[in-house]
Amino acid sequence: MEPTKFDAVVAGAGPAGCAAAYALAKAGLEVLVIERGKFPGAKNMFGGMLCGSVLAQLIPNFWEEAPLERYITRHVITFLSREDSFSIDFQSPSFGKPPYNGYSVLRAKFDKWLAGKVEEAGAIIVPGLLVEDLLWDGNQVVGVKAGGEDFPASVVIAADGVNSLLAQKAGLAEELSTEYVSLGVKELIQLPSEIIQERFNLEDDEGVTQLFDGFCTRGMHGGGFLYTNKESLSLGIVIQLSALRRMGVKPADLLEEFKSHPGVRNLIKGGTVEEYSAHLVPNAGINKVPMLYKDGFLVVGDAAGLVLTTGITLDGASFAFASGMAAAETVKLAKQNGDPSRKTLCNYEKLLKESFVLRDLETFKHSQFFLDNPRLYTTYPELICNLSRGLFTNDGKPRKRLWQLARTEMGRQKLSILHVAVDGFLGRRAI
Amino acid sequence: MINIIVCVKQILDPEMPPGKFKIDPESNKVIPPEGIPLVVSPFDEQAVEAALRIKEQCGAKITVVTVGESSAVNAVKHSLAMGADEGIVVEHIIEGYDSLLTAYILTKAIEEIVAYDLIICGREAADWGSGQVGSIIAESLGIPVVARTRKIEVMDSRLKVEHIIEDGDESLELPMPAVITVSYEIGQARIPTGWGVISAARKKIPSWSLEDIGVDLSQIGDTSSRIKLLKLFTPTRERGCQIIEGKTAAEAAANLALRLREAKVI
Ligand SMILES: Cc1cc2nc3c(=O)[nH]c(=O)nc-3n(C[C@H](O)[C@H](O)[C@H](O)COP(=O)(O)OP(=O)(O)OC[C@H]3O[C@@H](n4cnc5c(N)ncnc54)[C@H](O)[C@@H]3O)c2cc1C
Repeated sequence: MEPTKFDAVVAGAGPAGCAAAYALAKAGLEVLVIERGKFPGAKNMFGGMLCGSVLAQLIPNFWEEAPLERYITRHVITFLSREDSFSIDFQSPSFGKPPYNGYSVLRAKFDKWLAGKVEEAGAIIVPGLLVEDLLWDGNQVVGVKAGGEDFPASVVIAADGVNSLLAQKAGLAEELSTEYVSLGVKELIQLPSEIIQERFNLEDDEGVTQLFDGFCTRGMHGGGFLYTNKESLSLGIVIQLSALRRMGVKPADLLEEFKSHPGVRNLIKGGTVEEYSAHLVPNAGINKVPMLYKDGFLVVGDAAGLVLTTGITLDGASFAFASGMAAAETVKLAKQNGDPSRKTLCNYEKLLKESFVLRDLETFKHSQFFLDNPRLYTTYPELICNLSRGLFTNDGKPRKRLWQLARTEMGRQKLSILHVAVDGFLGRRAI
Repeated sequence: MINIIVCVKQILDPEMPPGKFKIDPESNKVIPPEGIPLVVSPFDEQAVEAALRIKEQCGAKITVVTVGESSAVNAVKHSLAMGADEGIVVEHIIEGYDSLLTAYILTKAIEEIVAYDLIICGREAADWGSGQVGSIIAESLGIPVVARTRKIEVMDSRLKVEHIIEDGDESLELPMPAVITVSYEIGQARIPTGWGVISAARKKIPSWSLEDIGVDLSQIGDTSSRIKLLKLFTPTRERGCQIIEGKTAAEAAANLALRLREAKVI
């Protein structure tokens, strides 16, 4: 007789759900993954960089077989004013050796591969099916409902991504308010790999990430990004949703504006747009992490808001993997104890508190408040660009010292020393 | 209860974004798009559907056969998830469009299965659209075939079918065993249920090699001696958009009518 009840049903085959399912299946548990996309990865997108260290704990040497685009050896941060740009450029060959520091990745391919590993490990994946609701026995979650069918389970793992329906159904979270989430829009721009390598000063499979701060968000909390893939660029912007609503700007228009900025235009020259996609990302950090478990129920990854955004780092994938793995550990324990109630499942939170997941979010708990400061997107990038212009201008007029230039520019930006001091203090505390 | 064999083929997803469809004009080959899984040809899904309806009507054991690369097991799994009982993958990659070769391999596989009363194929594969495999199998097995069928009824050891012709359809009766290819009028294929997918995932699906079924490729000669693909290209589609102006809606409509008349559309 085939089992009709699973040890765990996982809703969502993104990084979090796949990590949980993989670890559970490897341990021999009966696992079912339900994914709404036509195939895992079909509708998923992110910027682009995957940090590999956590995944390597789950699948050692995964880089030898996973569909990765380029390993990142170069990081650029660019400040944009209306026309000018100022970049900080870091490149290190040490990032180019296994285990690599990070990879650019296209989710449709990567998630599909990862889901394949999950199936190989022995879990069953049902794609094209939306989990609609939870099954209850009193206060205990005992499975899910999808497509009008019931799928009973000892533990349900909600890995259904940002604004998790299941966390809401479980009564752990409310619908996400627009202040706590950002919208990312991105284009996949095709370019031959030789051009990418030449244009970005890369060898073979090396890649670059470039983050943009300033004019591209019209002062809104957010930024632009560019990642080199094998034969394409991922170019996009991420902007806080509430700001976007308030300003009444269409994200697609912002992206067009971004693409036509002189500092960006030439980077994508000659490319053809292959794909446009949009996705939300939680940005409230620890402040909006819900209760992470209840009887028979765990929340992982974006569904639990486990994403680190510091303005320089946007890491959700590592947090998704790590929380998925912690959830798997906890479900194994529940199976051993024969007790899927919160008495066992509270172990999940303990594991996250011990790992980087909740510790990093705690370390950077002030970053959102800091990043809400509009000066970061207008005044400072303009100041840096204008200052550089002053520094490099040869116009036959008497030259000024850097400090003088800075004072003049600060005056023009109506920026006082006090502002800088306060922002500096907040910044030191936040990032 | 009768034994039904359904032949299915895995193809590029016809619903994939057109931008992902690329061909290499040098080698006259389609470049498989990365990251987009292959699917069961929609006509073959309907063949499975037709078999399932017979099963529901009078009981049947449905065996699905596919020839393809190892990932073709997914085509079998999909059919099992819909409700078929068993499946077999014959592992061999066929370069696209050689219907004779495909039919030859399928015939050998069917002979290996031994028990069959009815063989159902899709009208044609939705990629190359040759529509010959069903008929060649029937010829090789020496049994009757009806192509482009919209309805199949089993009456004891005979079949009653509706066959689509240019200006209507014909009702035919034929003895079993027989080959039927179904047209899309047979009706929509069901979407697998979640539990259907689960039980399909739990089934072991045997994979046969050409030797297993006694296929001797030298028997039927080289594909390239039969068929030469002269040119493979994507048609260029030109789109022009004109906005027809007018002060009022009525005037714009009148201008539109004028323009359509000029273009001899109306
Ligand atoms: C624009 C943008 C850029 C980003 N850049 C980066 C980056 O560079 N690096 C990084 O590490 N992270 C980045 N992130 C964050 C990262 O993408 C996420 O943190 C990560 O994908 C979270 O994984 P997850 O598995 O929790 O959720 P998701 O990846 O969102 O997966 C959820 C899955 O659940 C499925 N699903 C949802 N609801 C249901 C349901 N009801 N039933 C069944 N299935 C369901 C979805 O289809 C999806 O497959 C970015 C995000 C965005 C939006």
